[in-house]
Amino acid sequence: MALCLLGTISVAQEKVDTLRASVVSSTAGSIIVPQRISSKQLGSVTGLSEAVRRFTGVQVRDYGGVGGLKTVNVRSLGSEHTGVFLDGIQIDNAQNMQVDLGRLNLEGLSSVSLFSGQKVAPLQCAKEYSSASSLYLESAEPVFPDGKTNIIKAGIGAGSFFSVSPKLSWEHLFKGGASIRLSADAVTSNGEYRFHVKDFRQYPDGSLAGYDTTMTRKNCDLSSVRAEAMLFSPKSGVESWNIKAYFYGSGRGLPGPVYKKAGEYPLSLDRQTDRDAFVQGRYYRTLGRAWSVSGRMKLSYNHLEYIDFPETLAGGNPAHYNYRNHSAYLSASAMARIRPWLSVNIAQDIQYDYLDADLRDFAYPGRLSSWSCVSTRSSAGPVDVSATILYLDVNDSFISANGRAGARRNVLMPSLVARWKVAESLTVSGFAKRSYRMPTFNDLYYTTVGTKTLDPEDAIQFDLGMDWVAVRSGGSNLSFKADAYRNQLKNKIIAVPTSNQFRWSMYNIGKVDVLGSDVTADYSVKAGRGGFGAIVRYSFQQARDKSDWNGQIPYIPLHSGSVNLSGDLSGWRADVTLFATGERFTTSANLPAYRLAPWATLDAALSKNLTIRGDELSLKLCLNNLLNEQYEIVDNYPMPGFNFILRIEYKIN
Amino acid sequence: MRKCALLVFSMAVLAVAAGCQKNETTSKDADLAGVNVAVGEKGLFAKLFVLNEGNFQKNNSTLDFFRFSDGNYVSDAFGSMNPAVVQGIGDTGNDLALNEGKLWLVMNGSGYVHVLDALDETLVASIAVPDPRYIAFDKSYAYVSSYAGAIYGGDEVKGKVYRIDLKTYKVDGEVEVGCQPEGVAIAGKSLYVANSGGYNYVHENTVSVIDLSTFKVVGTLEVASNLHYMATDGQGYIWVSSYGESTWSQDADGNWIQSMSEPMGLYKASYYSEPRIVQAVKDVHVSCMTICADGNIYAIGNAEELTGGYSNTLYKVSVKDGSVTSKALSGTDAAKVGNPYGICVAPGTGDIYIADADYTGPGKVWCFTKDLKEKWFAVAGMLPAHMVLY
Repeated sequence: MALCLLGTISVAQEKVDTLRASVVSSTAGSIIVPQRISSKQLGSVTGLSEAVRRFTGVQVRDYGGVGGLKTVNVRSLGSEHTGVFLDGIQIDNAQNMQVDLGRLNLEGLSSVSLFSGQKVAPLQCAKEYSSASSLYLESAEPVFPDGKTNIIKAGIGAGSFFSVSPKLSWEHLFKGGASIRLSADAVTSNGEYRFHVKDFRQYPDGSLAGYDTTMTRKNCDLSSVRAEAMLFSPKSGVESWNIKAYFYGSGRGLPGPVYKKAGEYPLSLDRQTDRDAFVQGRYYRTLGRAWSVSGRMKLSYNHLEYIDFPETLAGGNPAHYNYRNHSAYLSASAMARIRPWLSVNIAQDIQYDYLDADLRDFAYPGRLSSWSCVSTRSSAGPVDVSATILYLDVNDSFISANGRAGARRNVLMPSLVARWKVAESLTVSGFAKRSYRMPTFNDLYYTTVGTKTLDPEDAIQFDLGMDWVAVRSGGSNLSFKADAYRNQLKNKIIAVPTSNQFRWSMYNIGKVDVLGSDVTADYSVKAGRGGFGAIVRYSFQQARDKSDWNGQIPYIPLHSGSVNLSGDLSGWRADVTLFATGERFTTSANLPAYRLAPWATLDAALSKNLTIRGDELSLKLCLNNLLNEQYEIVDNYPMPGFNFILRIEYKIN
Repeated sequence: MRKCALLVFSMAVLAVAAGCQKNETTSKDADLAGVNVAVGEKGLFAKLFVLNEGNFQKNNSTLDFFRFSDGNYVSDAFGSMNPAVVQGIGDTGNDLALNEGKLWLVMNGSGYVHVLDALDETLVASIAVPDPRYIAFDKSYAYVSSYAGAIYGGDEVKGKVYRIDLKTYKVDGEVEVGCQPEGVAIAGKSLYVANSGGYNYVHENTVSVIDLSTFKVVGTLEVASNLHYMATDGQGYIWVSSYGESTWSQDADGNWIQSMSEPMGLYKASYYSEPRIVQAVKDVHVSCMTICADGNIYAIGNAEELTGGYSNTLYKVSVKDGSVTSKALSGTDAAKVGNPYGICVAPGTGDIYIADADYTGPGKVWCFTKDLKEKWFAVAGMLPAHMVLY
């Protein structure tokens, strides 16, 4: 709700507010109100992917288990079309454009917001205009009680899968007003869980027969460490900055899909290790009455090692593959308030990516990308309109038979966003947007997956939505948010084999037409020392594959939704969440053989916060999949049944 | 990526020889209705079995059949007749063969060779064989080629042939051959094994020759690079296809260019003939092939491969004189076939069955007359590839 209010502050009064809003959050002041999960609600989930799947219009692809890949797909456009931004700077990799939500931490975040379309907020960088949808993660700035300069938090979690996860953080307020947070955490888990494989069908004579066996998911252990340091500027009405250094290292087993394999062989012994490090920073400053500027930078390095074991050859040596992704990013943006009712935002971003891999005949691709953007925002009374034009120019260089060669791709991405505040309690908004996703290094330069000249994938989005506050009185609040949208995806990048069966080619042949609707109802009431909240979310997504079969595209359910109930009283908080997803298909041929069953899970969380001589103790118990539902989000990757985690955290002020 | 499950091969001579007597007993699978795709017809055969390879590690390989009596196409017949078999036939079916009334399914991903009663598709035995590829039979044994644990990018590991006793359905011997062996065929007193070396920097170019009485490698024939399908003609010769040798590179626009240093081809060979021969059959491009009891090898391939064009062509090669007749699919009803992935030909009528694989959805099985006029088609499972007439 706070965000709604910020969003309605008119441009004319926004000079200082803009900056402050930007300092507080890079999602504040947006025309379109995002879906948002606050830090309080984040407390009731165990991981980022659990938080994100509460949004409407979202499918989280989850390969299951503590180490399983988790990616987010918004409104049937594919996970490469969703940008994930940490403090306003994109987390990306040119290799496959997929962000594993399982590696991102909820600790230290103040909010998670989803823009299912164009975000338009003051002083955006150019990359923020480029994704079809964006997920924003905002770091919480340390808040020190009066007179205190140090806060230490220590915690440990333990639970199912033999998981143990300690963490430690220290926040310090410097004399000049700057503050720092140093934090580290680790996870170790053997990841194993039992699951059912079953299939029942009718004999020709009508009798029912089948099987239901229990198996154990193996080789799914995970150990990871993460260390972060974040420096925040002193509070100031003129400038603000922050710098973050991040390291993540992990080793995990890759259990692979579940399929029939002769008993004496393990399904998979494959392993993956990751070393990710980055340093990023951003800076904001106001210049006089009309101008404000911002700069951002990021340097990152990701090393992925994949170890492929010959499972059927006892004692055989594995094959090793190393991928090293280097990336440097620089951005400058400026906003001018030309008239009380008109502001202009210009931004220029540059990024260089380079991928090194020890594969046969590797192309060693480098990519220089430039995003240039002009965006205007004007408001007249209750109407707020923003028009943006973004130009993306991507230059690749790679090793070919004739030495270094190059390839250039460029696109224009226009967008229009409008909001009309019909009444104090009713806002209507909409957008039209064209965006592209560039072919990744994997699409273009992977040696066993050959390539033709590929065009970027082309996504056109139209959206019309409304926000209605039905009740706002005393302590109770009832609001509705509803959107209808149409997305068209063209030139979808698909792998097709050539006449040589060992070599596949990538083509732009896919075409998808999506018609959907997201609806949310949010009720909350406060009374005395307690409160109650209920959120109901529903998504409808009809995503037709127009290039073949005309069926629903793989893994997108027609219907999905969730219900969340929460209550708090005297430091206790309880949360119950039901997720339900309808049937899905693994191919666009929606035949019974390719159907994945609908599923529903029930999660619960209970927490208690205590104050002990000024320090805070919090206890949290998360119970996931209480009904032990056996289900798959991705075909042949069974999800865990009932599991739990208990966390205890002590905060010394 | 690891074990690129490939392609087609049917030991059709044995299959047809065994299948020629149509079984008159009523099968329990008669109650499986399926989808009507054609008018029923009487002929030499009761069923056309289709093995859908399925996607790698997706456990979605299935066995279908077309029933000639009522023209119905039955999907996943194995699952319907054996519902209690955990995880069905399993992952990545790589070969299908008929021998003495038994249907043999070679499951590459699952590491199993399944033996089914061809009459009603009920499971008789499942035999664990690591990385099995193709199968051939003599009177007492089945012989299965195997990658024997090799992985792409790993150490160079020699392949094997496993021998299965037809009485006990147990593996009773193994012999080491070249790297990544594919097609196997028996001619005279020898088993011939096509070595591909598909995971190696330099492909293999040999056929291993195994003496059946001692089950030992007695020699090799140098044929051509990257060998794959193999068939026997009943006259002491084996016919083997080669993927040739190509290099791939990217041009300035990022297009991958294939240049062939050795063409794809078909070769006729014998180890024991006097003189020992290896003969190339000119201008035959093989992406799938079968041998029919009518004395011809039928193959489909891209005739314009070397020039970068695309023209799927049906080749008919007489095993008696090596004469070749070819016909482009374009301009015929068979132009509708998107990606020919397997072929089978009925002796007698000359009807041609083509498995058509689609990489994003289920494939199709087409039936054409010998003049490539469409008779029917059916929606099959994922990547239909291997067919046998029963």
